[in-house]
Amino acid sequence: MNSKTPLAAMISLALFSTAPVYADDLSDLKAEVMQMRADYEQRIVELEQRLQHTETKTQQVQQQVAQVKAAPSPVVAQSNNRFNPAISAVLNGQFSDYQNNADDYEISGFSLGGEAGLAREGFSLGESEIVLSANIDQLLYGQATIALHDHEGETEVEVEEAFIETLGLSNGMTVRAGRFFSPIGYLNEKHIHAWNFADAPLIYRGLFGNQLSTDGLKLSYVLPTEQYIEVGSTVGNGDQHPGSGEHNGIGDWLVFAKTGGDIGTNHNWQLGLSHWQASPDDREYSGGHSHGGGEAESVAFNGDTDITNLSFVYKWAPQGNFRQQNFTLVSEYFYLNDDGKLSHEDELASYEGKQYGGFVEGIYQFSPQWKTGVRYDWLGSKHRASDDELLEDADLDASGYHPQRYSLVLDWLPSEFSRVRAQINHDKSSSEDDTQFLLQYTISIGAHGAHSF
Amino acid sequence: MRVFITSLLLAFTSLTVQAEVSIFACEPEWASLSQELGGDKVTSYSATTGLQDPHYIQARPSLIAKARRADLLVCTGAELEEGWLPLLQRKSGNADIQVGAAGYFMATDFVQLTGVPSQLDRSQGHIHAAGNPHIQTSPVMVLAVAKALTSRLQQLDNANQAYYQQRWLDFEQRWQAAMTTWQQQAKPLIGMPIVVQHDNWDYLISWLQLEKVGRLEAKPGVPPTVQDLSNVVKQLKVTPAKFVIHAAYQSPRASNWLVEQTSIDKRVLPFTVGGNDAATDLFSLFDNTLSLLLETTK
Repeated sequence: MNSKTPLAAMISLALFSTAPVYADDLSDLKAEVMQMRADYEQRIVELEQRLQHTETKTQQVQQQVAQVKAAPSPVVAQSNNRFNPAISAVLNGQFSDYQNNADDYEISGFSLGGEAGLAREGFSLGESEIVLSANIDQLLYGQATIALHDHEGETEVEVEEAFIETLGLSNGMTVRAGRFFSPIGYLNEKHIHAWNFADAPLIYRGLFGNQLSTDGLKLSYVLPTEQYIEVGSTVGNGDQHPGSGEHNGIGDWLVFAKTGGDIGTNHNWQLGLSHWQASPDDREYSGGHSHGGGEAESVAFNGDTDITNLSFVYKWAPQGNFRQQNFTLVSEYFYLNDDGKLSHEDELASYEGKQYGGFVEGIYQFSPQWKTGVRYDWLGSKHRASDDELLEDADLDASGYHPQRYSLVLDWLPSEFSRVRAQINHDKSSSEDDTQFLLQYTISIGAHGAHSF
Repeated sequence: MRVFITSLLLAFTSLTVQAEVSIFACEPEWASLSQELGGDKVTSYSATTGLQDPHYIQARPSLIAKARRADLLVCTGAELEEGWLPLLQRKSGNADIQVGAAGYFMATDFVQLTGVPSQLDRSQGHIHAAGNPHIQTSPVMVLAVAKALTSRLQQLDNANQAYYQQRWLDFEQRWQAAMTTWQQQAKPLIGMPIVVQHDNWDYLISWLQLEKVGRLEAKPGVPPTVQDLSNVVKQLKVTPAKFVIHAAYQSPRASNWLVEQTSIDKRVLPFTVGGNDAATDLFSLFDNTLSLLLETTK
């Protein structure tokens, strides 16, 4: 449109400013002007045509743009089932085959409690989990994980997690309250079904009976730095193994720090350090041998316990595209320190114990539906008591034996919601070597959960 | 003197308040758009590259650190990032980017999606309940998102409202001119029969009026089986297609198989900014996409 104005100016300039004018040249000049006029008129017509053409094309584009209807109104919340919480269930079943008797399973230098043993031989139904989660209101998020499992012929219901958490408290702060997996190690914070192997690393089995949870409070802070650095602390009631007993006030506490980053687009890593302390009150060693047939009274520990963890995770994917191919390396190391007294019936002994160990696992996903991995576990312990008989009663007489285990796993993943897993362990948890074969399915139905790094 | 004082004041305020809006884009197309619209008043970071499948991203440490410092999330939405974004929001401890906050911008909230599944059942593959989220394959959609993003930037950064308005007008003009050119170029493509590997081209197809005659993935997100592929081959005998297209981030295996079996042409399109070396911004993304598509018709 605007291009017309300078054009008009040029024409009037051409028409009216051709001076000086002499009488005898007038007819010539007239002819010349007429010629120029015709020229310009033709050019104007041409320009108008081009303009019209462009306008129609722009109109076409605008029509297209207009065709993109705006969404009725921004549907900002994408909560599943309208306002119902996101619900998902994780089901799994397993077939296990062992060389040794599963009931005789033990880890030298560690006393196994609760669910720490092996899954029953033959077919068994694993833990069935129901997870509910949702934003509660403008401030809070809530999540509960209810686990159902069979224990000695009866179905037990366990509240694995039930916590509330602040939703963007701002400045990188997050507060969580309730029951949650303690931030004591990399795997500990993940659900068992998200682990890379069908069973827990030996050190998790030995120290926590698979997993440590805390009933209490967690505070974490992500630093405003380019590099990811998170520090935090938890306080709890101190009754979860290896803690024990009822404590008024704070029964256990933990501090942790994590950092991590990328190296190029192909490599990601995370490093974590944590330290946990508690003062167990009558921590019982279930291994207590019964003398003379009657129900044995367990050996109990009273004193102070602390655990330090170092974890390292490295992930690799070509171009950072995890869908096609990736590799994950996880390694963790735990060190437990007990200082206190062992008691059994009317006997009492001063006791100092160290239990330590770790694992390294490497998982290679070579296609979207297949992955394989290896794991190596290694443990050690040192126990000193003023009365060796009590150590024996507590199953802690390891005498320098180092339990080890080699595992090999193969996963088939038909989709991100299902998995079939085959695993072989060569388990040297005690001097009785064992070869274990596990075949397992794990599926998830319902809401699509997000998995952490 | 006045200039000196003003610049001193400016330097001071830039120290005390964050001068630039820090944008965390989930995908490179939105990082690129944010930069077009925000100019030097924003810094934009893309959580993914053009060679990564945005459905499968790790909520990795570096992303938590970025999300913690972000003022504005610019993502696709429609459940494309459901496997990782909610986790980043929760772990970031950042109030500004939570659902519903001004700093939470989901592009698909501002356009009408197609391909909303009539049946929500996971046996049908990896379907998106809200509809097909891959809107950046159509410049028409991009323009609609750009307009909404401009208002969001103006809302977040009041002081620079006029600046964003001016950037928007400039972008709109350039984009519409480019669209006119693309449309002109794409005329030979109208009605062209094609096969897609995954259903992430729907908006491109309807914009260019291509005709989708087949899909390699029988169910979205599930790698096609030999049976699925031979079904496509059979179908192509009845309704032949000019070429098969897939995104740069996807495995070429299935498409290559089809090429071997039927001697159909194959086109690997950038899909987003950074999908190949030529697609460096939104403009060159479409320039390149069109030239790749047109190659076969020469």
